[in-house]
Amino acid sequence: MATQKRSKHINLRRMRKAFALKPLAVGVAGVLLSACSDDRQDARIYTSLDECKIDNPDAIAQCDAAYQTALDEAARTSPRYTTENDCEHEFGANQCQYVNNNQGSFFMPFMAGFMVSQLLSPSRYYSQPLYTSYSPYSSYRSRWVTADGYVFDGDIRKRNYRVRPDAFKPKPTVTRTMSRGGFGSSVRAKSSWGSSSRSGSWGS
Amino acid sequence: MLAAEYGFHFHTMYGEPYWDESAYYQFSLAQIENHIEDPTAEIHQMCLAVVDEVVNSEMLMKRFAIPTAHWDFVRQSWLNKEPSLYSRLDLVYDGVNPAKLLENNADTPTSLYESGFWQWLWLEHQVQEGHIARNADQFNSLQEKLVHRLGEIAQFYQVHEMHFACCKDTEEDRGTVQYLQDCASEAGIEDKFVYVEDIGLSENGLFTDTADNPLMSCFKLYPWEFMLSESYGDHLETADTNWVEPPWKAILSNKALLPMLWQRFPNHPNLLPSYFSDDAHRVSSNEKWIKKPLFSREGANISLLDNGEEQVLSEGPYGEEGFILQAYSPLPKFDGNHTLIGSWLVDDMPAGISIREDKSPITQDLSRYLPHVIL
Repeated sequence: MATQKRSKHINLRRMRKAFALKPLAVGVAGVLLSACSDDRQDARIYTSLDECKIDNPDAIAQCDAAYQTALDEAARTSPRYTTENDCEHEFGANQCQYVNNNQGSFFMPFMAGFMVSQLLSPSRYYSQPLYTSYSPYSSYRSRWVTADGYVFDGDIRKRNYRVRPDAFKPKPTVTRTMSRGGFGSSVRAKSSWGSSSRSGSWGS
Repeated sequence: MLAAEYGFHFHTMYGEPYWDESAYYQFSLAQIENHIEDPTAEIHQMCLAVVDEVVNSEMLMKRFAIPTAHWDFVRQSWLNKEPSLYSRLDLVYDGVNPAKLLENNADTPTSLYESGFWQWLWLEHQVQEGHIARNADQFNSLQEKLVHRLGEIAQFYQVHEMHFACCKDTEEDRGTVQYLQDCASEAGIEDKFVYVEDIGLSENGLFTDTADNPLMSCFKLYPWEFMLSESYGDHLETADTNWVEPPWKAILSNKALLPMLWQRFPNHPNLLPSYFSDDAHRVSSNEKWIKKPLFSREGANISLLDNGEEQVLSEGPYGEEGFILQAYSPLPKFDGNHTLIGSWLVDDMPAGISIREDKSPITQDLSRYLPHVIL
């Protein structure tokens, strides 16, 4: 056969949509993994605060802080579901908690572990919550997954990863957004015209 | 089931099956390479030659209805060689005669996911299940090339993250953009999403997402001609966002391109005769012509000129910027359906085809998508 004219390989895992059942909201925090970068740094996953402290007897305070950061992030970014059933379908029986706060009321999975990097660095450490699933219906079963649905290679026994440091850098922030909605007015004008336009797409 | 697993949510539209798995088109390798792939690369180069001419001529910028205030913005993006991601050339091709260019969807082409991913997966499954011969191939390196190109674009702009934007209330556009986010992610780029309507402007003049992050680089599935004329259009130059597609695509996606191509490359086998509508006197009235607006989406505002009589084929909100005429070339009919070939380019490389069918000889937006094989 001559040179193949179609894509040689497609990473199907990447294409699988993050959650079998669509959560109400997913966070956008995430660790970026890259296969082609040399400057990645070690990151380690702990399933409890004690595990972190035993592994880092000289960094008890950092473990406490990293754990708390992960918990805070989990509260902010964890996938959310309207019913316990939906949540358990993805994460397994008894893996979800009911939360009722100023963001609303919903079910979210328990944090199953937290990933830390540069724990001993004097400048800053990195920490983020991770989840796993016990559900036979989920593609996350026995795997580490981030709040935004990134699935790590290997199963939950794997605890050490190399991650790219620039993913941890704080993003540039702007002073303040003064206005919104300066784009999109043509859509309102043109779609008010109705007709056969296909599900309102602005593509062509 | 499989569709849901991959988040493919739009396979029916207005009750018509948008995706039909039972049927497919078959091409020979020679048809693909000689009749589609090579002409696609050549047409694209011809189009770029026109862009180069237009950005350097105020007269032509006016002809292309680029707002005067943005001439420099559009021109600079071309001179800076700001990278393009993709385009789709719509071709009339009957399997025998030279393919003819109908349109160049260079700014906001869709049906990307169906082509690059779904069609590919369809062939894998058909071959696995023994429905299609194992040596079957497909002209479809779209996904591979998109991933690679997104990586190049990130490198060009020296960025590690990219925003992706489309309008609200359109599942199809959101699906297309999600697909590109997946491709970007595969290229090691951190992807973020914002709706076009939610884009903000910061006090230091940057565009922002809903979390107040600046849009440093942003893919937008939203036409340049809209962006240039809307209220944030005035801030485009100072906001300094790296847009994908780049601003010079306002010229490439413009239907004024068609008469310009015919002027510069008359009688090229892959072009249809085309004129600006104010040159209509040069058009023989005993032929059939299609009249299209300079800017239009979804086949809107198209008329058929037949023997001097104008018959409106589709209504719509476009046309205030002017019209062009293109020689009528009906879509070929196979098995009762009219067929349109979408020929994809990633940057300047032909990257595959998508096939859409319609009951009408002039393509509308309710086209069914069909996969293809090379055998």
